[in-house]
Amino acid sequence: MTAGLDTGPRWADLARLATREWRHHPWRHAAALLAVALGVALASSVHLINVSALAEFSSALRATNGAPDLTLRGSGGDMPDSAYPEVALAPGVALASPVLEVDTYARQADGQRLALRVLGIDVLQVAPLAPDLLPRPDEGEDRLAALDPTRVFLNAAARERLGVAQDMGETVSLQSGSRWISLQVAGWVPAGGAPLAVMDIAAAQMHFDRPGRISRIDLRLTPDAEPSAWPPGLRAERPQDAEQRVSQLSRAYRVNLTVLALVALFVGAFLVYSVVALSVAQRLPGFALLGVLGMTARERRRLVLLECAGLGLAGSALGLAAGTGMAAAALRWLAGDLGGGYFPGVTPALQWSWPGLAAFGGLGTAAAVVGGWVPALQAQRLQPARALKGLSSLEAPVSSAGPGLALLAGGVALAFAPPIAGLPLAAYGSVACLLFGGVVLVPAVVDALMRWVPLPGGALPRLAWRRARFQRHTATAAVAGVVASLALSAALTVMVGSFRNGVSQWLDAVLPADLYARTAGSSAAAQQAWLAPDFVAAAAALPGVDRVAASRVRALSFAPGRPSVALVARDIGNPAESLPMVEPPLPGRDGELGIYVSEAMVALYGAQAGSWLNLPLNADGVSDSSPVRARVLGVWRDYARQFGSIAIDIGDYRRLTGDTRVNDLALWLAPGADLARVREAVRALAPDPAMLDFAAATELRTLSLRIFDRSFAVTRYLQVVAIAVGLVGVAASLSAQVMARRKEFGLLSHLGLTRRQVMALVAGEAAAWLAAGAVIGLALGIAVSAVLVFVVNPQSFHWTMDMVLPAGRLLALGAAVLLAGVLTAALSARHAAGRAAVLSVKEDW
Amino acid sequence: MKRRHWLHLAAATLVPAASSAPSRAAEAVAGGIRRGRVLKFPRDHGAHPETRTEWWYATGWLGSFEAPTHGFQVTFFRSRTGLAAEVPGRFAPRQLLFAHAALTDLSAGSHRHADRIVRWSGEPGDPLAAAATHDGDVRIGHWQMRHDGQAWLARIDDADLPLQLHMQRTQPLLLQGDAGFSRKGPEEHQASHYVTEPQLAVKSPLGEGRAWLDHEWSDEILHPEAVGWDWVGFNLADGSALTVFQLRRADGSALWAGGSWRPPGQPAQAFAATEVQMRPGRAWTSGSSGARYPLEWTLQCPAGQFMVRPLMDAQELDGRNSTGTIYWEGISELLAASGTRVGLGYLELTGYAGRLRM
Repeated sequence: MTAGLDTGPRWADLARLATREWRHHPWRHAAALLAVALGVALASSVHLINVSALAEFSSALRATNGAPDLTLRGSGGDMPDSAYPEVALAPGVALASPVLEVDTYARQADGQRLALRVLGIDVLQVAPLAPDLLPRPDEGEDRLAALDPTRVFLNAAARERLGVAQDMGETVSLQSGSRWISLQVAGWVPAGGAPLAVMDIAAAQMHFDRPGRISRIDLRLTPDAEPSAWPPGLRAERPQDAEQRVSQLSRAYRVNLTVLALVALFVGAFLVYSVVALSVAQRLPGFALLGVLGMTARERRRLVLLECAGLGLAGSALGLAAGTGMAAAALRWLAGDLGGGYFPGVTPALQWSWPGLAAFGGLGTAAAVVGGWVPALQAQRLQPARALKGLSSLEAPVSSAGPGLALLAGGVALAFAPPIAGLPLAAYGSVACLLFGGVVLVPAVVDALMRWVPLPGGALPRLAWRRARFQRHTATAAVAGVVASLALSAALTVMVGSFRNGVSQWLDAVLPADLYARTAGSSAAAQQAWLAPDFVAAAAALPGVDRVAASRVRALSFAPGRPSVALVARDIGNPAESLPMVEPPLPGRDGELGIYVSEAMVALYGAQAGSWLNLPLNADGVSDSSPVRARVLGVWRDYARQFGSIAIDIGDYRRLTGDTRVNDLALWLAPGADLARVREAVRALAPDPAMLDFAAATELRTLSLRIFDRSFAVTRYLQVVAIAVGLVGVAASLSAQVMARRKEFGLLSHLGLTRRQVMALVAGEAAAWLAAGAVIGLALGIAVSAVLVFVVNPQSFHWTMDMVLPAGRLLALGAAVLLAGVLTAALSARHAAGRAAVLSVKEDW
Repeated sequence: MKRRHWLHLAAATLVPAASSAPSRAAEAVAGGIRRGRVLKFPRDHGAHPETRTEWWYATGWLGSFEAPTHGFQVTFFRSRTGLAAEVPGRFAPRQLLFAHAALTDLSAGSHRHADRIVRWSGEPGDPLAAAATHDGDVRIGHWQMRHDGQAWLARIDDADLPLQLHMQRTQPLLLQGDAGFSRKGPEEHQASHYVTEPQLAVKSPLGEGRAWLDHEWSDEILHPEAVGWDWVGFNLADGSALTVFQLRRADGSALWAGGSWRPPGQPAQAFAATEVQMRPGRAWTSGSSGARYPLEWTLQCPAGQFMVRPLMDAQELDGRNSTGTIYWEGISELLAASGTRVGLGYLELTGYAGRLRM
């Protein structure tokens, strides 16, 4: 390789040429650089936020779960404490630490409730397995305070939120059912994370009305023994199962956000393509001259690729910096739950993840290099002699429709592929194939469209028509960005619109009453914060109340490593009316327990209509009978619970469990009743008004939709950015073509065309291509939105929706892009033609 | 420091009750620690859960009297917490049960130690841990000390320290003090019931030997001025048994003392507090805790004058991970004034590792 000898100086020369080019056109390149930076920033900030939140959450989890070799849990949530001696005495068990987990509320100084987890522990066993849960008595407290049923120990978050000083004698009130239990704070526990209280396990069983129940047994095993047989009804979990469960919670949401960020990077690559193509077109004479002076074709390509790589590196560095800043800000202000509410109560510190950042930086650079690949090839294929004479040598080969159609077919095929590792990865591949296929097909579609449009009369339109058709291979460069960005915008518009429509209809179905009251914000806390059934009767007897429906919410655990499922016991009546069913439900059969499951239950546990499900209903100390077999009579939509929910008739539930507690009330008001007055009357019935959260149906509806809109705000922002990038691409590539066509324009001038007419010609051609681009973009957008609605959403979040096509908005979007594109084309043609005319005269020898 | 530790723990938990004399008197009656109470066996080998503190304390050696190979200590404790009287369920922490085991390998010069601690609701049938009240039988998981006819059986099921002892009775029970009522301080209620089984013939997988077992229960024995406790129990080669103890003030002076002497085939002679003197001799400083223990003692008692000398210095037990206490408890020899070995047994030294934090 002789090149090896002179590579050094040549690389320096190439770098010098590249910097000179950037200095000449700083804004254009800055735009490309920013596009890359934006994609990298979005992707890296999503990544960093998640890594940080997960690290914080996991460490809090490790603090409360400790580091056992194994944890035993009851398959239905909790277990009888009679299992404990059996486990502790099992061969191979070195240490066994029982824990009762209770999610409940503490009363804050202002009377409001603070969600708080209470762990009942055995202080004598907990230290080696979960040292962060070991109570540290305050100075002056008895050493046995951790066994004292009147004492409780708080972690830092609970102390801070409840305003408990490090002194002695302060009391806190914890909710048990519909009572407040008053306990004396006797010290602290080091466990970090969300507010936590630790107390003796026997006292926790007593205070929280869980006699004879425990939630888990943490085990240390002897080194060489691995016990395999546990008491029936228990299952073993490794510590990583719990962390995996937390990671699972946000996984689909996080992957979707990352894909959106990668889409931004993809659009950035288009912009790089447009900008570099323009830059190559403008520098053709320069390249030709360098070629004559001895620069080889490969070196020309290398120069262009070097420029792209430099652009990509700078953009990636900027993007990583911006991404880090965005992540830090988001962690600070949004507490790291990515707007998805997956990590409550966590305020994580920013965690660096070098492999992740390096990957996104590499992706950014790669995107820029890929974007510059085609222009670099053009620079390489340049024929210096022809180019010096000003003869266009940017001849792209006429492409057939074959590859594009193949990509589209591949995209369609991928859309039917099952999820990979629980993620819609094939569907994302499908979206990418559809987009690329559509872009590749631009010339073919231009051709097809022109066949429909008759050759217009008049010299100028005729000229534009002819040229648009015969130069259609160059249309790809001009409108690829528009096609891609319009497709993405249309897809997001349709998907978000369909989703919003679905959520809106769902809210109508699930909020039939006028006023809602609930005791707990989560199904875990609902176990502990409840009302007695006589409360329902009292509420129903209030003046102004027409009818009251009560429901009970419980968290059921079906599989280790998976978040728990919400069981909602309520009046069901006619399920087709009372639940937002996906399909008409099956009729119930006598002697069978019928339940209705959400779509996630079908995806996660295969509980389709007609199948049987074992409900682990043995919690609450009510019974330890074997699981209850129930038949799935129908599947309903539940946009509120991603990990599954089950609706059961409250009569059946009470009969099976004897549990008559109530969590949620739905109140229908009598005609003319005053909502505010009824609300106050119900509140007055509660033992403590703070134990009930109220919302009117209209408030809930508005609030839900507002949360929905907020969580999709980022997609709207992406649409704007994508369209702007697409338009910059139109401007850049049309300018490049005008530069390349200066001979032609010179000739047209000689023939008597005015500059205005030349511009009209260019705009006309652009309009033809843009029209094709808009058609493709909208069609692709609808196709991609179908993939998002019918594949990505069910596979990620296990919920389906009906697709709604907002035709008006889509047409307006297409028309706006078309109009903006033609305007951009005219402006850039005018700008470029001004210079081209001068050049064409100069070169006219 | 075990005994001392438990005394402290008991005192600490007593705070609310002890604040008023009538309730304390009521507890004393309920606990039944009183002079003149007639101990009945095997009933009184069993637990007395109504009392505050109780232990079954076996010490001994394996190998010959002239050349022992091992010293061992197996102790089960019970402590009433005074808590959770109204708390239901198996986890109600009304009692704590705990056990210590230590093995001194005299040929290897090593000293190993293990412990267990659990809560107990007082339910005799609890499969995990319980102390029977009809006869001696106290269990913590797979650890157990049990009275069986004419023997005591101890099983310590620990990966690092497996011990199985069969301790056969060779002599009648030795009731310490006044027929088993043993004063531990200047006040009459500072007392325990104290039963000793000396000269037990030991069989174990590690070899044969002799053991000494104390069973003692009390409501309150530790005088407020006392900071520690020095105790010896020796099986003499001729079959005699010697017990000497003192409760120590912070300045090292004796607040109370006692003990007994029982030659074979004769009734036991209890020592009055004024008849006993323990004079510390050579001291040893623990490398790990820094505590300084007087390991050699001169005993002056109605049975004569003796020297106590440990067979190995490093027999400190660090229980900070479980009980929060550090003490010295080790196999020692009893020397006659002439300097010849006349007995083997255990020396226990508590309250030397700084003030205790319970």
